[in-house]
Amino acid sequence: MVLADLGRKLNAALSSLNRAPVVDDKVLDALLKEVCAALLETDVNVKLVQQLRSKVKTKVKATFESTADKAKETNRKQVVQKAIFDELVNLVDPGVEPYKPKKGHFNVIMAVGLQGNGKTTTCTKLAVHYQKRGFKSCIVCADTFRAGAFDQTRQSATKAKVAYFGSYTETDPVAIAAQGVAKFKKEKFEVIIVDTSGRHKQEGELFEEMVQIGNAVKPDMTVLILDASIGQAAEAQSRAFKESADFGAIIVTKMDGHAKGGGAISAVAATQTPIIFLGTGEHLTDLDRFSPQPFISKLLGLGDVQGLMEH
Amino acid sequence: MFARLTGSKVLTEEDLKPVLESMKQHLMKKNVAKDIAERVCEGVGESLVGKKVGGFQSTNTTVRQALSTSITRILTPKTSTDLLLSIRSKLSSPLTSTQQRMPYSITFVGVNGVGKSTNLSKVCFWLIQNGFKVLIAACDTFRSGAVEQLRVHVRNLSMLGTNNGTAGRVELYERGYGKDAAGIAKEAIAYARDNDFDVVLIDTAGRMQDNEPLMRALAKLVAVNNPDKILFVGEALVGNEAVDQLSKFDRALRDFSSGAGGMGKGRGIDGMLVTKWDTVDDKVGAALSMTYVTGQPIIFVGTGQTYTDLRQLRVQNVVQAILSD
Ligand SMILES: Nc1nc2c(ncn2[C@@H]2O[C@H](COP(=O)(O)OP(=O)(O)OP(=O)(O)O)[C@@H](O)[C@H]2O)c(=O)[nH]1
Ligand SMILES: Nc1nc2c(ncn2[C@@H]2O[C@H](COP(=O)(O)OP(=O)(O)OP(=O)(O)O)[C@@H](O)[C@H]2O)c(=O)[nH]1
Ligand SMILES: [Mg+2]
Ligand SMILES: [Mg+2]
Repeated sequence: MVLADLGRKLNAALSSLNRAPVVDDKVLDALLKEVCAALLETDVNVKLVQQLRSKVKTKVKATFESTADKAKETNRKQVVQKAIFDELVNLVDPGVEPYKPKKGHFNVIMAVGLQGNGKTTTCTKLAVHYQKRGFKSCIVCADTFRAGAFDQTRQSATKAKVAYFGSYTETDPVAIAAQGVAKFKKEKFEVIIVDTSGRHKQEGELFEEMVQIGNAVKPDMTVLILDASIGQAAEAQSRAFKESADFGAIIVTKMDGHAKGGGAISAVAATQTPIIFLGTGEHLTDLDRFSPQPFISKLLGLGDVQGLMEH
Repeated sequence: MFARLTGSKVLTEEDLKPVLESMKQHLMKKNVAKDIAERVCEGVGESLVGKKVGGFQSTNTTVRQALSTSITRILTPKTSTDLLLSIRSKLSSPLTSTQQRMPYSITFVGVNGVGKSTNLSKVCFWLIQNGFKVLIAACDTFRSGAVEQLRVHVRNLSMLGTNNGTAGRVELYERGYGKDAAGIAKEAIAYARDNDFDVVLIDTAGRMQDNEPLMRALAKLVAVNNPDKILFVGEALVGNEAVDQLSKFDRALRDFSSGAGGMGKGRGIDGMLVTKWDTVDDKVGAALSMTYVTGQPIIFVGTGQTYTDLRQLRVQNVVQAILSD
């Protein structure tokens, strides 16, 4: 299971709380240290982890001081657990509803992201996903940069039995994107997915190109495709993509590997944008839906204490 | 007497603890894996406990210096990174009259999407510039477009790669999709031998380090073909995964290649190529994690998406970037 390791560690830390006779500063500090260590190992941004630590501390202290029955240790434990749980949820849940494609409409989805993070693969997976749910779906290959990009789309779309558009000769991705989307709109496709080249914030021109493609196809939803193994660069890169492309959703790829996706979690926090899917393999159907609540519960193995937490 | 005047003192664990802790945080912010950051700081601590520091030197600066020395040592290659020398010496080694000269072969391995094929093409460009005849073996027979990707690179490189007439050349060896990669590599090496190529660059499909069937298949390719160099391609973007990727690729190759092809002992990773260096600003800690785990050198650094974006690692620059605030 995704993030199982992190879950185990967080869980162990939390249950150590139950063994402590009293919850004082020392116990709280020790607990937070373990929780933070677990998060750091998954690549959650170092600053975010520090923030989480101090937020939990402040919250817990404030609650302790404002409640009269300091003697009741079980209450104090609950206060601590809830504070940690809430802050963890905050990490992956920005509380924003992602766009949902509507039947009988044009729904243009544009994929953006760093080089090699899985955009092209994920575009086909998305097309398959929506096609299965009755949307007439297609892919526009607006990557004119990467060698063999159109062949990649052509081959994987053919395998997936999804319509595609692209060109071997046109070198302007903006023109291709516009042509492709116009063509598919005329043909009454419902989900039109635009794949773009990989890029990074350090190259201004590449970002400008992305903005222009966006202006040409007016996406209903732009998706940032992010590799689960990304480390501390996640925050700065995702922030930059947010500023230029204003993506409304994140898909974390390669979750079938050993990576726990903490970098991607940092991207959520940095951009206040929800994760909608996880990529879990190289095959067309390796795509899992993502929703924060069950995710965190599972992560912490909290099924049984859920009731406790909701007070 | 003097000691008191200059305020020199002997460093204790207590003095060091807070400084080392903030060093560790600092290293992690620079994208050094947590585990590696801890071990490096531990080492620095051990080297300093009981040391005298002069009065003009704070504990801070002493630790900083020790850290600098330590990461310089980790990053400094312990084996030769001179690939040209290695290729030339193989190509000019004496042969008996019945022996046929074998080409120098390099296999590029790594997880998905890190830049194996692109940087293989950059290495090819560099080899052509140096007058070599290069054969690229398309052994990613899985990912859509993988063969065509290399075909485009070979077409580009054939047009680019002339060096004042003493040109190298490049050709693609491909057998399409769905075939056994180890077999294609073998055919390619034989083809290169018979057609007077100097170097064979073997592209492989990306794979996750925990995917045992795929790791076995890669080990088979290594065992069957015994390449002169196995280059692990990793990206500078990778966080804590760097440790797991490298240790598992190395171990899987060693374990699975020892039995399979009957070459005797298993082969591990010989060096690294760290890509996407241009995407991480000064957060270059992955380079430290990678060299710490393997003890092998970084042979090249990939710094962009064009053929000339390939560099040698400058250890001092990396150390500076990691230490900078
Ligand atoms: N294991 C695994 N591999 C994946 C997943 N998603 C994509 N990949 C692989 O990652 C590699 C890169 O994927 P692409 O789809 O080409 O990435 P991209 O973002 O389009 O790359 P550029 O267009 O070059 O920026 C390929 O080998 C894919 O098969 C996933 O969820 N799991
Ligand atoms: N910015 C930057 N991008 C790079 C660098 N090296 C490779 N890339 C890009 O990374 C993406 C993936 O590169 P590939 O060479 O296809 O990666 P791969 O490891 O062969 O991928 P798979 O074969 O699918 O596993 C492409 O868009 C490349 O242009 C680099 O040094 N810097
Ligand atoms: Mg792509
Ligand atoms: Mg490749």
